[in-house]
Amino acid sequence: MHFHIVKRDSCPFWKKLCLYLAAVAAALVLGGLLLLVMGVDPIAYYQRMFTMGMVGNKIAYKTFENYLKVFVPLVLTSVALSLAFKMRFWNIGGEGQFILGAVAAAAVALKLKDSLPQGVVLILMCLAGMAAAGVYGALAAVLKVKFGTNETLMTLMLNYVALYFLIFLGETQAEWNFFLDTSSARPVFFNFGKEVAFPRIMIGKFGLNVCVLLTLLIGVLVYCYLKYSKHGYEIAVVGDSAGTAHYAGMKVNAIVLRTVFLSACLIGLAAAFKVGTVGILSTSFTDDVGWTGVIVAWLAQLNTGIIFVVSALISMLQHGSTVAAATFAQVDSSFADMLQGAILFLVLAADFFIRFQVVRAQKGGSVNGNG
Amino acid sequence: MKKKILALVMAAAMTLGLTACGGGDSSSAGSAASTGSQSAGSASNVSASDFKVGAIYINKKSDTAGYTYAHHTGITKAMEALGMDVDKQLFIVDEVPEDDTQVGAAVDTLVGEGCNIIFGISFGYLNEMEVKAEEYPDVIFSHATGFKSNETNYNNYFGRIYQARYLAGLAAGLKSLETGNNNIGYVSAYDTEYAETCSGINGFTLGVQAVNPEATVYVKELGAWADEVNEYAFAEELINSYGCGIVAQHCDSAQPQLAAEKAGVFGCGYNSDMTADAPKAHLTAPVWNWDVYYKHAIETAMSCESADQFVTAMEGPAYYGGLNEGMVDVSPLSDNCAAGTQDAIDQVKALIGSGEWDVFSGVKLNVTVADGKASVEKVDAPLMTNDGTEIVVAGGTSVEDSVITGSMNYLVEGVKNA
Repeated sequence: MHFHIVKRDSCPFWKKLCLYLAAVAAALVLGGLLLLVMGVDPIAYYQRMFTMGMVGNKIAYKTFENYLKVFVPLVLTSVALSLAFKMRFWNIGGEGQFILGAVAAAAVALKLKDSLPQGVVLILMCLAGMAAAGVYGALAAVLKVKFGTNETLMTLMLNYVALYFLIFLGETQAEWNFFLDTSSARPVFFNFGKEVAFPRIMIGKFGLNVCVLLTLLIGVLVYCYLKYSKHGYEIAVVGDSAGTAHYAGMKVNAIVLRTVFLSACLIGLAAAFKVGTVGILSTSFTDDVGWTGVIVAWLAQLNTGIIFVVSALISMLQHGSTVAAATFAQVDSSFADMLQGAILFLVLAADFFIRFQVVRAQKGGSVNGNG
Repeated sequence: MKKKILALVMAAAMTLGLTACGGGDSSSAGSAASTGSQSAGSASNVSASDFKVGAIYINKKSDTAGYTYAHHTGITKAMEALGMDVDKQLFIVDEVPEDDTQVGAAVDTLVGEGCNIIFGISFGYLNEMEVKAEEYPDVIFSHATGFKSNETNYNNYFGRIYQARYLAGLAAGLKSLETGNNNIGYVSAYDTEYAETCSGINGFTLGVQAVNPEATVYVKELGAWADEVNEYAFAEELINSYGCGIVAQHCDSAQPQLAAEKAGVFGCGYNSDMTADAPKAHLTAPVWNWDVYYKHAIETAMSCESADQFVTAMEGPAYYGGLNEGMVDVSPLSDNCAAGTQDAIDQVKALIGSGEWDVFSGVKLNVTVADGKASVEKVDAPLMTNDGTEIVVAGGTSVEDSVITGSMNYLVEGVKNA
């Protein structure tokens, strides 16, 4: 008996949705089995995870603030990456761009906090973060356009250059290194959180950082940019086929450079938002957003609105599993990674079945499906 | 790392042409549940069965060796000794990097769970814990290896591991006399950059020289707290290129001991008894008994009137227990040790215990062993660095604790960088 894999012409929306939901459910069941083996009640664990421990918690507002601190950089980075991905420019350099954006924003904060009003400093931080990250991202685009280098490898390697630069700043005590706290004998980053911070809108005890609102606004703008602007159309055409775009008289190279720069700029902005929220650098400053952002962008199929939904869920998974793991002695932080991995791979599998179908070969007949 | 692989898989998947699909479908994860379980607890002065302990770890709580493991074992051992239920009363957030945001979130989580005392075990947690101690005055914060504190609910703790290293140095020195090889190696995470490693090297060397003044301690710096590959390689280099017959260490794994075992030489481990890892090579290891502090701290916290009394009840903001408190010790001597080692260690221990002598003072010990019996003699002699600077005059009192924990940045006579 032979099976062949055949591309589906179309898959109805409800069927896609069901397949994706089934994939997530299967991952949760898989995780649940693992929990059972470890002697943990899966229902109790998941309950704790999905509520992020906020029920019956007198500082639940803190939990939600912390959740938003995970959510904002992730969603903004994912949206930014989707811009480049739409054009089939595989920017895996989110980590590096985020780091450089953060370093630039922190430099502005440290140098100007005493001489300029806070509002101006915050705006300059955003601009500096965007510029630094944008140029760093555009570097890979220039190399691709000029010399045809592989942008995946290039951006990937540039991540490490940025990371080691940050580690160098964090470990090198020297006269010139204004990033460090000089009052400490051991090298630690200087904390300027008391002097420079994005304002928060207080709703009772809960403080809503303006960055959350700005991020929502940027989401809408990017959505409109992609959907209604000429640039958005160009990105879509280049993504479909660079040849077609060229034939249609578009300046493909200019479009690639412009879009990658914009993509990296937004990542730099995400970094500046984070710097202005937490007030200090660290060598694990990115919290893996550059990597997770790729996953989110893919899971959301580069759809801006859905990126917000997926980011919200992935952040909930990340933050919720830390909270849940605190209560269950047997479960450590690796469980969250495992669960996330299981969800992603099963969704990937679901995606396969959305795009292809398995058919049994007809008796004696020759099938020319491309298997 | 895992993230990275996933991200790359995703990128690969996209390269295979997913973008062309263009459809807008959502994958939404499961349902939100409703009822909760825990309610946040209140301040101190609660009974043993209601008291909740929180901990923030740098590595996994499921580790089976290393730094986090040592602390986790200490906390659970202390809680069990106090009759507490570890499953219900201990809350842990693990794998928290030295990043203020993530440390802050971990503290919020633990406070939300109602923890009465929160331990943070990694150096870089110090600033955020200070901020949080002010934010949550009803909760006690206690930080290992740091130097920050306040006058009410935030202290730090560490131990006089240099004392244990001195004792290990005695064992190594006696072994070097027995083998006739005066070269001793020392694989260290850092040397003078951190007072912790620096005082360790010095304590060990002074111990070695108390029995064998001819000995030289060759230090090789890893530049990292844990680096298994180089831990082995550096030990090998010390043995082969510097002719070391004993390898001591200040690093996480037992790799230097394995290298010593393979080369047929001897060694002193660290953190835990490494005799099982290198049965033919290992002499003894300086070890931590973190449970001593944890028991003391939890007990004190439970009997405190309120959280802001904690620092007073602990008799100061910095706990620095040594051999006397049982906070540090050397692991049981193996059969590889030279005759008389136990007696020498016991006598020096008694001397430290009596409070009349400590390692970094202007008084040196001359320890001699004859017929398995040790005799210890005190001699006034200056504490000298290996570049000839006098730190303590002959007969002078010991270097201050704040120097040993914070600013010691010289190596004593007898140390050479390899």
